[in-house]
Amino acid sequence: MSYHTNPDAAVWAKVQDAFAAALGLEEDEVQLDAKLIEDLGAESLDFLDIVYRLERAFDIKIPRGGIEGTAQEEAGEYEVDGILTDSGLAALKQLMPEVPADEFVEGMRVTEVPEVFRVATFYNLVCHLMEQKASGDGAAG
Amino acid sequence: MALPAEQPPAVLPRFCFVVHALSRLHRGIMGVPSARLGLISQWSDGTGPDDAVPVCSFRLEGVAEGVVVGVPMTPQDLLIDQERAVDRMQSAVALAGTVSAVGLGSLCAVVGGRGDELADRLEVPVTNGGAATAWALLENVRAVSRLRNPSSIAVVGARSPVGQAVVRCLIADGHRVRVDHPRAGKGLDVDVCQGAEAAVAGAAVIVGAGPTGGTVPAASVMPGAVVVDVAIPGTLIGKPDPSVMVLAGEAVAFPAHWRKGVWGWLYHVLSGYGPNQVFACLIEPLVLAVSDRVEPFSVGRKLEASDVAAFGVAASKLGFSPRLATGWNAVDSGALVRS
Repeated sequence: MSYHTNPDAAVWAKVQDAFAAALGLEEDEVQLDAKLIEDLGAESLDFLDIVYRLERAFDIKIPRGGIEGTAQEEAGEYEVDGILTDSGLAALKQLMPEVPADEFVEGMRVTEVPEVFRVATFYNLVCHLMEQKASGDGAAG
Repeated sequence: MALPAEQPPAVLPRFCFVVHALSRLHRGIMGVPSARLGLISQWSDGTGPDDAVPVCSFRLEGVAEGVVVGVPMTPQDLLIDQERAVDRMQSAVALAGTVSAVGLGSLCAVVGGRGDELADRLEVPVTNGGAATAWALLENVRAVSRLRNPSSIAVVGARSPVGQAVVRCLIADGHRVRVDHPRAGKGLDVDVCQGAEAAVAGAAVIVGAGPTGGTVPAASVMPGAVVVDVAIPGTLIGKPDPSVMVLAGEAVAFPAHWRKGVWGWLYHVLSGYGPNQVFACLIEPLVLAVSDRVEPFSVGRKLEASDVAAFGVAASKLGFSPRLATGWNAVDSGALVRS
């Protein structure tokens, strides 16, 4: 999912709005490559608010666990004792092309996955779900 | 001589406070006060269109009265479907009847854009408790700081609306403040630390201002420090040094004319604060209902330092006061004086 390399202006504007409202930021502070936690200061409840606002803005349903849930399905064995397996890391790398591959390091913990999320991660997710919805594969709001 | 005309009884301002079930078991018993056991059972998901229950009522004698109304959804239910959570919250408010203000408790104050969605749907102001939480936290931190005279105060969760309001007020008080993220210090004269652990290192007074905690290993807190915490679960992970004091940042003592009845007493106890104090957020809709304000003290991410101050003035006038406490028990200020 690499929709972020050629973002649609209208979709991007709504994504920016949602992030700005959820995080109390100006819209121009929300950039595609910004890391949610490190750059934008997002906390756990902010993720909840971001998801809600995106669901409302695009009339989609973002499944709980989202990207990680999909990675778990694709990886088979995703983690052992909270540490991502090689197949787990590989699945995440594939699902999140907006994240530099070298951020998925051996020994990475499941709890550290949100730390690599970018705004682009959610942009791509929104676009993917909108495409699914348009093709009738669910994810309707 | 004409007899004085009979005066109709004064109609007190009314408020409601919306809460949710804390567990499946709790969801099963939420219907007890209103004898709705058949409606809300452990084996029902409690999310039918009309599923909302009255929980208890409170009265500040001669001032205001209100009802706590329950959404029989567990935290997990609320997180999985925020839209449905807001629908149930709207039903719960309707159950309360005519009210002048709506307050949101626990996760009800988080889902649906921290109250924004419910506020859009209702004609009365909806307030998410942020101002009351910030006021209680701030006053408790001020009380501790008067006794401990710290060189700086560390604020964890400083990016949150409550955290930002508290940071600004502490700066205005003349304190040196440390925050745990660069964004939390934007435009402010504070010491910016990279993360919560760095922020609390060596700090004698620590403020846990985030809505959720579990961000600071207890071993990072220096012996003898005081943590004033509103995060749920608590800010510290694990048990700190025995000399570290962790205070309930949102504890508020209520005035003598606070009436709670049996179910209200039970609600006080089950909500975690015990019979002699309340969560600050519960009194925010009461104070709003009594005031002349049409704007809520806090909703969404909106929470200004001026709103915290305005809330504090209004709440104090009604006899509410923050209370230094650990769990259910008040803490003697003498215990906080550094030896």
